[in-house]
This record gives sequence, C-alpha cells and structure tokens, in this order.
Amino acid sequence: MASTTLLMSTTARLRDRKVDLERRAATTRTVRAYLVSVAGLVGGPVTNQPGEDVGRVVDIVARLYGPEPYPPVTGLIIRIGRRRTFLPATAIGKIHAGRVGLRTSRVDLREYVRRPGEVLLAREVMDHQLVDVDGVQVTRAADLYLAPQVDRTVLIGVDVSLATLLRRLGPRRWQVRPTPDRVLDWQSVAPFGEQATHGPAEVRLRASRSALHQLRPADLADILEDLGRHERQQLLGWLEPEHAADALEEMEPAELENLLREAPPEHAARLLDEMEPDEAADALRDLQPGERENLLARMPVGEASELRTLLTHREGTAGGAMTTVLVTARAGQTVAQVRAELAAQAEHRTEIDSVVVLDDDGRLVGDIPLFDVAVAEDAAPVGDLVEWLAQFGPPVTVRPDTRLAEAADQLVAARATSLLVVDETERPLGRILADDILDTLLPERGRLHFRRLLK
Amino acid sequence: MTRDLDTAPVTAAPAVAAASPARRKGRRRIAAIAMIAGPGLVAANAGNDAAGIATYASAGSQFTYGTLFFMVLVTVALVMVQEMAVRLGAHTGKGLGALIREQFSLRLTALAVFCLGLANTGLVVSEFAGIGAAFELLGVPKWAVIPPAAFLLWSLVLFGSYKWAERIFLVMSLAFFAYPIAMVLGHPDWGRVGEHLAVPHIEPSKDFILLAVALIGTTVSPYMQFYAAAGVVDRGAKPEDYKLIRADAVLGAVFACLISLTIIIATASAIGGTGPLESAAQAAEALKPVAGHGAELLFAFGLIGASALAGAVVPLSASYAVGEAAGVERSVSRSFRDAPLFLGVFTAQIALGAIVALTPVDVIQLLIGTQVLQGLISPIVLVYLLVLTNRRSVLGEAANSPRYRVAATAVVVGVAGMSTILLVQTVLGWLGLA
Repeated sequence: MASTTLLMSTTARLRDRKVDLERRAATTRTVRAYLVSVAGLVGGPVTNQPGEDVGRVVDIVARLYGPEPYPPVTGLIIRIGRRRTFLPATAIGKIHAGRVGLRTSRVDLREYVRRPGEVLLAREVMDHQLVDVDGVQVTRAADLYLAPQVDRTVLIGVDVSLATLLRRLGPRRWQVRPTPDRVLDWQSVAPFGEQATHGPAEVRLRASRSALHQLRPADLADILEDLGRHERQQLLGWLEPEHAADALEEMEPAELENLLREAPPEHAARLLDEMEPDEAADALRDLQPGERENLLARMPVGEASELRTLLTHREGTAGGAMTTVLVTARAGQTVAQVRAELAAQAEHRTEIDSVVVLDDDGRLVGDIPLFDVAVAEDAAPVGDLVEWLAQFGPPVTVRPDTRLAEAADQLVAARATSLLVVDETERPLGRILADDILDTLLPERGRLHFRRLLK
Repeated sequence: MTRDLDTAPVTAAPAVAAASPARRKGRRRIAAIAMIAGPGLVAANAGNDAAGIATYASAGSQFTYGTLFFMVLVTVALVMVQEMAVRLGAHTGKGLGALIREQFSLRLTALAVFCLGLANTGLVVSEFAGIGAAFELLGVPKWAVIPPAAFLLWSLVLFGSYKWAERIFLVMSLAFFAYPIAMVLGHPDWGRVGEHLAVPHIEPSKDFILLAVALIGTTVSPYMQFYAAAGVVDRGAKPEDYKLIRADAVLGAVFACLISLTIIIATASAIGGTGPLESAAQAAEALKPVAGHGAELLFAFGLIGASALAGAVVPLSASYAVGEAAGVERSVSRSFRDAPLFLGVFTAQIALGAIVALTPVDVIQLLIGTQVLQGLISPIVLVYLLVLTNRRSVLGEAANSPRYRVAATAVVVGVAGMSTILLVQTVLGWLGLA
C-alpha cells in the first residue's frame, strides 16, 4: 500500500517536473530570442544602412549611473580598419544577437570621450566583481544581457552562471546565444566602474542610491569582506558613514584591520568616529601604533581622547570591552526628563541598557534598568526609583582591569544584562553589555572563508 | 542569519578562520616577526618538497658541481619573478587569478587556469610520490601508504584542525636543514665549487637540458607566484608596505636557492658522478656526514614533512586561484557544501595526485618528470606575470620601468628558450631525427 502511494506520488512528481521543465524551456526560448549577449556582441560585425560591413564592435558604452532604472546604451566603440571610433546611440539602428545594424550609411570618425556615469561594458563590467544585492554575495559577471527596445537598448541583467563561462570559451556561434539560466536583474545589482563615478557629484549620488541600502549591516559586512580592495573602497565611498560604520562593526577583526589600513586616512577616521566607541577602540587596537595615531589625529578632539582612554585598557578586560556611552541622571530629576534624555540618545540605542544615577560629586548612586524607567510615573523623581531599587542590593560593578571571564561570572550571578565599570573612586567609566561578554566567550563564529593560505 | 551547517563544517572553522581574539595578541607579535622571516621559511620549504629534493639531488649526483652556475641564473630569475608577483599583490590588492580574469580575455584566462591546474596536479603527484618514497625507505610499501595519506590530508584540510598538522609537518621538514651541515662536513672540493658558481658552464647534452628545465620548474614553479601574491593580499599589505614586502620576497627567494645549492653540493660530494639518481636511499647518502646510519631515517622524516606540507597547501592555493578566476572566490563560502567548484578542484587534485603516484613508475623518474612539466609550463605563466606588471593601467607608477622590462623579458625568454629546446629535442627524438 505504502509502496503504491510512493510510486504514484513519484510518477506525479516526475510528470509535474516534466511539465515544469517544458514550461521553463519555452520561457527560456522566448527570453533568449529577446536578449542580446554582450560577450557575443564584442567582435561582431557592424553593418551600415545598405548592409555593407563597416567595422567590428569593440565595446559597448552604457550610462550606468544615470536617472534611468536600467542603464541605456549610449554608444558603441567600433574598430574600422585599425582605427577605433565612437558611435553614438543615435547612429545605431538595431542591435541584434552578435551584430549591429546602423541607421546611417556613413560613419563619422571620432574619439571616445567618457561622459560622467558611463562605463565600457565589456572592459569594465564584464568579468569584474559586482554585488548581488538579493543574494547578498559578491560575484563576477560572466555575461551581460541587453534588451533592444523600440527607440533604445538597455542593459537588463547580469549572467553569473559557470556554464556561461564555458559557452564563452566555445566557438563564436555559441557566444552569440544567450544562456539566461542564472540571471540577476540589473536593479538588484551594484556594479563597480573604475572611472564611471568621476565627475559631478550627482553621479556619485546616483551610484550611492543603488539597491545597497536595503542590505542589513551584517550582510554588508560579509560583502565588504568579499570585495577586492578597489571595489571595497568604492562601495564604502557610496555609503553614508553611519550605515558603513554599522557594517564595519560586524566585520571580522582581521578584515576590518585591512580595510582601515587601505582606506584614505580621512575616510577611515570618519568611519571610526561613527562606530560605537568600544568597537572603534577594538579596531584601533589591532593597528600599528603609527597607523593608530594617524587616524586618531584626524578625528574630532573629544572622540579621539575618549578612544585614547579606552585604548589604555587591555584587551580581554572589562575596560577593553566596555562602551563609554552612558546615560546619566541626578536624583533630583524626574523620570520624564530622563526619558527625554534617552530619546536624544536614540542613535546609541543598542549600547544603552540602563540609566546611571550619580550624586553631586559624580559618584555612582544607582543604576536603573530601562524597564523600571519605562514603567515609572512621569513625575516621579529619580531618587525614589533608586531607593526602591536599593532593596535588591547595590548596583553590580566591576573595575576596568577585571578579566572578562570574571565579569561574566558576576553578570550571571547578578542576573543582569549589563555591568557598570567604575574606577577606584566609584565614578562610572563605562558599561559592559552582555553581548560584549558573549562575543568573547563564544568561539569564533561567522562564515567560513577560504583563506588563500592556511593560517 | 540562517545557518544550516552540519557539524563537519563547523569544526572546520578553526582551520580556516582567523585565530580567536584571545590568542590574537600573542600571535600578532609572532606575525610581526613572521612578516620578515615567515614567508622566507615557507618559500624555502616549498622548494624543499619531495620533487625539489629529488631534482637537486639528481643534479648533484649526475653532474656533480656542473649545474651550480645554472642555479645562480635560476636564483636571479626567481628573485625577479617573486618580486613581480608580490608587487602585483601589494598594489592591486587582488590575487593573480582575479587579475588575469579582469585583464585578459576569457580564453587566455582559461589557458592560464588550465596551465596552473596541470602544473599543480603534477606537483601534487610528486608530493604523494615523495610520501610513498619516504615510507618505502622505512620499509612500508607505497600502495599501503599513499591512499590513506591522501584521505587523511584531504579530510584534515576540509574537516579537521589542519593548523596543528601543519605545525608538525613544518617541524618535520626542518630535517632538511641538515643539508647545510652535511655540505660542510662532507668536505666538498671548495675550489671547484667556487669555480662552478662563478664561471658559466652549460653542457649541450640532452640530459643536462632536461635537468635544467626540471631545475627551473622546481625553483620557479608556477604555483609559487600565485602563492606569493595571495600571501601579500591576505596580509592586507598596501603599496606603502611594498619596500618591506620586496625585501621579504627577495630574501625568501635567495634563501630558498641557497638551500637548493647546499643540497646539490652535499649530494655532489657524497655521490657525485655516479650518474642519474636512482633511489631515495641513494639521495639519503648525502646526509650521512650528519646522521651516519640514521641518514635514511632523517631523510625519510624530512621528506614526509615537506611532502605533506606541500601536499595540502599546493592544491588549496590552486583551488583558490581557480575559484578567483571563475568569480566565486569567497562569495559562496558560508559552508563547504556551498562551494562545489572549490571543493571539486581541491578533491580532484588530491585524488589525481594520489592515483598517478600509485602507478608503478620509478619514483625518481616520476618526481623529476613532474618538475620538467612545471618547467615547461612555467614560461607560459611568467608571460602573464610579465604582461600584467608591464601594464600601467594595472600598476600605475609601479609598472615595470623600461630597463626592468628588458631584464624581466630576458628572464622569461631565457626560461622559455630552455623549455623550447627541450620540447624540440623531445619531438625530434620521437620522430627519430635526434
């Protein structure tokens, strides 16, 4: 009985699969007839109006960073005899698979001058790295597909399959035929063109407005780790420093170290400034003393001195892992005032876990968890909350030189989510959060990277 | 983040991921020292693999000191080639595989990848042959050793903690540092050594050319350039660090060649002039001045270490270069299962290497044969390197100066010339004309 069911379901599945395959094949055929492969176009003949052979395609110029969602082809670079010449889009009649028909009968010979936002598709995009935003990975373009429309031709997709590479190795006949099995929609791709973003600021802006903004910091960090040096710096340049800094905090220390080393010092300093102080201090700790000073010197004085203080603490101690973002209050303030202060610190919300209450000398009086702040009456004075909390014992504190393992024990014993780090005079220096302790206790997580060398 | 890894890739993490933060501080200090001495040592040991030892020892036994001057030329070539490779890595931040894909047509990229794959598989064959030869010295037949060794190496790299195994192999391979001592204790004819080092001497015989190509192949092997460039990129070196990197590359190359020279001289003074090397036992003779009756044991020990070390690193770095050229370098590396290309190339090289090494061919002939193959392929890869370093669009100001370009071209033409002569001779031999 069971075996019959199994057999039937298998047959049904096979039948479904066959139908599915047929449907896919049909779709592929239609799509294939519509697409023009850039790899197949390069080297193809260019014919003029009467149908005479004029030259050969060398490259295709497209405006990558323009206002259009899909980059339009703005011209061709063709070889006529031994000369290379630029052919504007207006002269192109129709782009077929593997060949180009011109609208005119004669061709003006002129040099190609790059206009802002333009790239040479075959030379600068094909075979180069690009970011697949949907799949969150870095890949190389195996082929690019153009779609000829009534009045223009646009770049619509990137082929990233290995099979396409094999096709391109084959005879010319194969190269012309698109094989759109694994194609990424152009809108879900962030390409890099080395010189394409030179020029007016709006071009850079358009590049930065790409799909990259949908990426979560952790994904962006993965992508930054995967990119080549030049591409990585270009991508960093496109991102808002805050967005980039969030991603940097998620990167592996060794990769982050390389990235900061490669970046122009001003930019690196800016990014460090945007990072949370404890993460920034961790990153700086990995650099050589000279490089560290170089970056600190370019940061605003206040932030730099804060980081310098953090850097005096050793790695693996509470001082080395703590954040210096603290929200403080006095006993006389009302809960409403404290809430307003918290709202003003929204950008640090992952680092704030409770509110530190200080006396007039700046010494620690109490530590109010956010929950208690949330449920308290607006008009209640902070002092009352401190008194009420005092019945559960004094706030748990550690010294900056406490080992992290010991701090972890204390955190567990106190059943708290964070610990305050205080100096000998009971003045708070910073806070060590549960996730910082987790980071150090857990073994190395994250992705497997095939290092080029075993280490 | 969704992680559907089974246990195996997770345990593989320590082998591949960076050291844990707690230990990083101490390692950093070591790394700072290793910045100078590390790659030099690695380069020397890479040259000291099974095939290298066999080739150098054969040079010593067959031509006594006759190949010394040629080795000096090879040293110059190696220094220049390594310098070009690390310059590319430091200035572009990309591996050679990625650079070739971006700068050359796809067909030329495929040719480069094919050449690298062929040369490297040859190298892997020689590593397993070396392991087999070492165990035969100890009285274990090679068919009983090579398959488990291949499997062990494969699984150590992919699932195990290769880091520890690597250290053991590295220490074992240090046995070959007995060669310089053996050279001195073996009382070579220093006058003749000096004369052969300084005075050009090249024999027009077919045997000499065959061995010369093997010497080129084992010293300037294609994989070394990929390895050197990748090492620089992995360390995140910038153009500003280039001076340090260059010093490191040059020192490493010179050091590697010095060790090779001592192997040739030590073997020459022990068994020089007895004709081609016949067995690993004969090669071990050269270590007698140091180890006496334990020479064979010492030799086997070093051979196992060096072969196992290279047997893992060579296919790994080749797989990386192939992945880079195909464009899947690190993008799909969330788990090993997601990286079929990488895994496939790596596995194929080890499997093929072990199978060929198992064929009942004379081990020494096989070892030297793989190095001749390397020597034939080497000039092709060097042309890519030369073209890349000549391009101002790649290196900008750091591109080869006109004078350097002439020198580098001369090196490549020289290497290619030797290979061509060998090829022509071989083909004529087949046709019965020579």
